[in-house]
Amino acid sequence: MLTALQRHLTGVFMKIFWRDRRSIFFSLFFPIIFMTVFNFANTRDQEPIDIGIVNDSGGALADDFAGMLTDSPLFNVTVGEESRLREELIAGNQTMVLILPEDFDVNLGEDTSEINVVVDAAQVSQLNLIMPVLQQTLLTIEREFRSIEPMFSIEIEDVQARSQRYIDFLLPGLMAFTLMQLSIAGSGFNIVEYRRKGILKRLFVTPIQPKDFITAIVLARMAIVLVQLSVLILFAVMLLDISIVGNFFAFYFVVILGTIVFLCQGFCLGSLAKTQEAIGALGNIVIMPQIFLSGIFYPIDSMPEWIQPIAQLLPLSFVSTGMREIANAGASLIEITPSLIGIGVWFVISFVAATRLFLWKEVAN
Amino acid sequence: MPIIEVSDLAKQYPLPDSKSEKFYAVNGVSLQIEAGEVFGILGPNGAGKTTTLEMLEGLNDIDGGEATIDGINVDKNPYKVKEIIGVQLQANEYFDNVSLEELLTLFGALYNRTIDPLSLLRKVQLEEKAKAKPANLSGGQKQRFSIACALVNDPKVLFLDEPTTGLDPQAKRNLWELVRELNSTGMTIVLTTHNMEEAEELCDRLAIMDQGKIIAEGTPQKLILEHAPEPPEAPLHGDLEDVFLALTGHELRE
Repeated sequence: MLTALQRHLTGVFMKIFWRDRRSIFFSLFFPIIFMTVFNFANTRDQEPIDIGIVNDSGGALADDFAGMLTDSPLFNVTVGEESRLREELIAGNQTMVLILPEDFDVNLGEDTSEINVVVDAAQVSQLNLIMPVLQQTLLTIEREFRSIEPMFSIEIEDVQARSQRYIDFLLPGLMAFTLMQLSIAGSGFNIVEYRRKGILKRLFVTPIQPKDFITAIVLARMAIVLVQLSVLILFAVMLLDISIVGNFFAFYFVVILGTIVFLCQGFCLGSLAKTQEAIGALGNIVIMPQIFLSGIFYPIDSMPEWIQPIAQLLPLSFVSTGMREIANAGASLIEITPSLIGIGVWFVISFVAATRLFLWKEVAN
Repeated sequence: MPIIEVSDLAKQYPLPDSKSEKFYAVNGVSLQIEAGEVFGILGPNGAGKTTTLEMLEGLNDIDGGEATIDGINVDKNPYKVKEIIGVQLQANEYFDNVSLEELLTLFGALYNRTIDPLSLLRKVQLEEKAKAKPANLSGGQKQRFSIACALVNDPKVLFLDEPTTGLDPQAKRNLWELVRELNSTGMTIVLTTHNMEEAEELCDRLAIMDQGKIIAEGTPQKLILEHAPEPPEAPLHGDLEDVFLALTGHELRE
């Protein structure tokens, strides 16, 4: 399939890329830092919310209520004087102060007892979290007091049968993003650099054909990208305990397709740009919007309506969605057909553009 | 028997200021270069030396005229020509992180040849640098290495574009020695230079170019006899620089 020349040239480019330790280090360093930070920020337990309780009542029910809140892992309860707790609230040491009135236990079952909640308005976001818990706690006490069984109970059944953490969502996208960057830089920046040094010109005066050169760069770069991604996956699976549910072959299949698409795009950019500055700028125009619009850090569904149709058509969206569905939901290649079609269309576009733009004689000169 | 035959070669470029107007970088150049000779092309900057060479090497399209190397039409069979020529360009940088030995093996592979990189390096006195990277070579070593790369396919014709520009006298003379050695094996060598001493020392015949045309051609002695000022007073082994300046004028170029 490959000629001896193509095999040899591929080997040489692999050596060249492999020996460029500095760029390999940086290409791995940032995704690893990223994953570690996000993983740490996410798996850390929710900090208990500081609340103060002023128990003016002292009745059995009020004590019960305060006790239940104290036992809840959600809260860090301080029981004390109203004036002192109010000061703490203003100082920001408490999120809210509950004041149980003197008549909390009196007239039970006849009148509605009022609980006074003093909050700092700046903490409203926390309130949405706290209020349902308070009401649930009060409801439990009420049911006990009236000796009635709850009419409903909710049982949570997770259809995916495993918990989806943000890091699980993030990892496939981060892989897709890394492979895009490595591929575009791997072909684009290299071509500009080789031209600047006159290496392309030197190769041109030998009998090598452009297709030999392109084949060798694509294969060598792909090998390096696969190694880099495998290191990231190993790191994620072994050290961050991230699970990849789907089939590894399917996952790598999408990775390889994506790499080819972005390498072709790199050839386009490298042919258009004449200087390192130009390739930097062109690269950013292609890469930057895709970082934010391709559902790497948050799902495309959560973006403004009008931008979603555009975002969904970006090459990185197809690649990252395909990889995510395999990694997170265990989808098979058939189930991600829409993504594969998208990648296929982008491959045709990028390949045709690359062969049109990468004219050996012009690129070399 | 000529190995390179060039007739009426032309190359047009658009003018830098107005894209619609064109100027001739090479304008009707005709040459016959004999097999086994060292042929020098002299000329001020912008005279069209490098463009002429690049057209012969297939790097530049031929806009007019014809060129054949060893009977092969350069324009119609560029890949056949590439097989029998060796080229040293003005830029002599190579891939990073690859040793001289590996680079030579790679260049051999580009011609589908398995070569012995060490014997080539020995030929250009770089054997002890086999494991070194091109970036760590001196100017003279870089030029010698470029020539080694141009020799991997055992070329019939070797093109050298300003091979001694920027070299110190020792490196320059060392390179001349190498060129003579290669020529003694029967290799035809075509070189461009600004160095009159080099042209006189090394070249069997010369062509002086200016403004895209050949304005004088012949052996160094013939050119000196015909064009040096006050021929009777000039020694036979006289100053070729005088010839050059008399023909191309004293005006600064570029």
